[in-house]
Amino acid sequence: MNPDPNDARPRDAGEGSVPPKGVDRRRALGIIAGGVTAGVQALGACTPLSTATEEDREVKVLAWQEYIKGNYRTMTEEERAATIARLERLAKVKRGEKVTMRSTGAQPGVVFGYAFNISKCKGFRNCIHACINENNLDRKAATQYIRIFEMEDGVIDLGDGDATYEHEVPAEGHFYMGTQCFQCADPPCVKVCPVGATWQEPDGITVIDYDWCIGCRYCMAACPYWARRFNWSAPEVPAAEVNPNQHYLSNRARKKGVVEKCTFCLHRSRQGRLPACVEACPTGARVFGNLLDPDSEIRWVLENKRIFRLKEDLNTEPRFWYFTD
Amino acid sequence: MIRARLGTAAVCLAVAWLAAACVERERPESNLLSVVGDTVLSDSALALAALNAQLEPGELNVVQGATVDRWTGPGGRPFEVAVRTEEQEAGHPRRFGSVTYPTALRARSVSQYPCTSCHFGRTVVMTDQRIGDAHQNIQPVHPEQTGAVCSTCHSEENVELLALKRGEQATLTQSYRLCAQCHFQQVGTWAGGGHGKRLDGWQGRRVLMGCGDCHDPHKPAIELRIPFPAPRLERPKGDGP
Repeated sequence: MNPDPNDARPRDAGEGSVPPKGVDRRRALGIIAGGVTAGVQALGACTPLSTATEEDREVKVLAWQEYIKGNYRTMTEEERAATIARLERLAKVKRGEKVTMRSTGAQPGVVFGYAFNISKCKGFRNCIHACINENNLDRKAATQYIRIFEMEDGVIDLGDGDATYEHEVPAEGHFYMGTQCFQCADPPCVKVCPVGATWQEPDGITVIDYDWCIGCRYCMAACPYWARRFNWSAPEVPAAEVNPNQHYLSNRARKKGVVEKCTFCLHRSRQGRLPACVEACPTGARVFGNLLDPDSEIRWVLENKRIFRLKEDLNTEPRFWYFTD
Repeated sequence: MIRARLGTAAVCLAVAWLAAACVERERPESNLLSVVGDTVLSDSALALAALNAQLEPGELNVVQGATVDRWTGPGGRPFEVAVRTEEQEAGHPRRFGSVTYPTALRARSVSQYPCTSCHFGRTVVMTDQRIGDAHQNIQPVHPEQTGAVCSTCHSEENVELLALKRGEQATLTQSYRLCAQCHFQQVGTWAGGGHGKRLDGWQGRRVLMGCGDCHDPHKPAIELRIPFPAPRLERPKGDGP
């Protein structure tokens, strides 16, 4: 897709069903938001009730401004900075968390790829544990992005795999196969989203604007890999365990009624770091890198190892390969 | 003006390249001496730990690495292997959100390192019959399977070095040179990126864990372990991934 020279949206707006540019609409929203904000502030100031503290008023104003903001892809850099400042402030005031949120865009010339060695994985589940802590996953509902399936040798149907094993691993006559979001190049979840709340970034990561998601769960029905998770209730993470290193599109606090998924730890990988699952893996079964760099490890694995992709016949082109020694 | 600047830049680059080439050629000699570097690292290791503690969330940890000789990564690029230091013995701990835990299988690999804490002289007499009393923690599965004895891999002249078949010696950090004598295929895959583990980043310096960070050289198979708790799954078995 050639970029539209008249398109004023930020460069990392990504592909997918882009909502209308709507400069007028956005401006109108801004004016309304400004007016309402002023009104709320004036109201707050005039309220004779002593129970309305300064902080309460601030939270109300910030929450309203958050409610009226646009889709992340249509925001200018200033608007992104403003929403991040609001979200950081809300986290501080409402939950007492001191978080640093980024809006780092995709690095040019980078498309992330992932390879998983089914000969090396021993089913220790360190990756799952690291992922929960890194991505602020809901502890109450025990949300997990990664599944490790224990499979009998010679079987490749994940339906026969067991993800709930509790015995000592690796078990004799079994191999272990991990699944998570495969960051498909042709993602069915993006196609079905009725509001454009999920899209593919230029580095190949399919992301979600948690504030734009309406919770219809079409994407969950469309995903052939069971990669998306729904928040049936407001996620709960103990304040002491919150990862303060956050990204707007990745591990920031989600709310009730929105969908979330693995982003290859966008907040880490866009800084040149490895996703938490790769870094935590004690057996080195996980390989991560830039598919566009011919000298990367991931490219070496793809060129030199016996590889396959899950449900390749669906043509979703997952950027996640399995390989064997 | 611009052309002159370009010319200066080209000259600078050429000088830098030549200097790098010279360093490259000198490396084999300096490797034999780096065992001293390995043991005297504690000061710099502490400095490194302090540096890592100052990092902002999102920044790379600083791993101490030594350039790997004779093996290159994909595209002929040189890469590094993590140097054995006091805190890296503890299994390359990494931070995930608010928790930190070791990421190498052998969290406390060489408990009796450095060797000179008991062996005051560097030379030892190695018999083929038994393992010394102080080393009863060693389970000699690998030697028993291959018929190897202590001196097959360990240097008798210097206890802290490994003895290679061609008569050279390697440091513990360079264990890949010893292992590659038989497991050349695995070490080749390690250099390529399909075996072993990269530390910290997919970008920038490529630092890999050494063979001994995951495998006990005397008992190299990965040991059984109880996994982290299973997820609570609502789906019945046999209902797709």
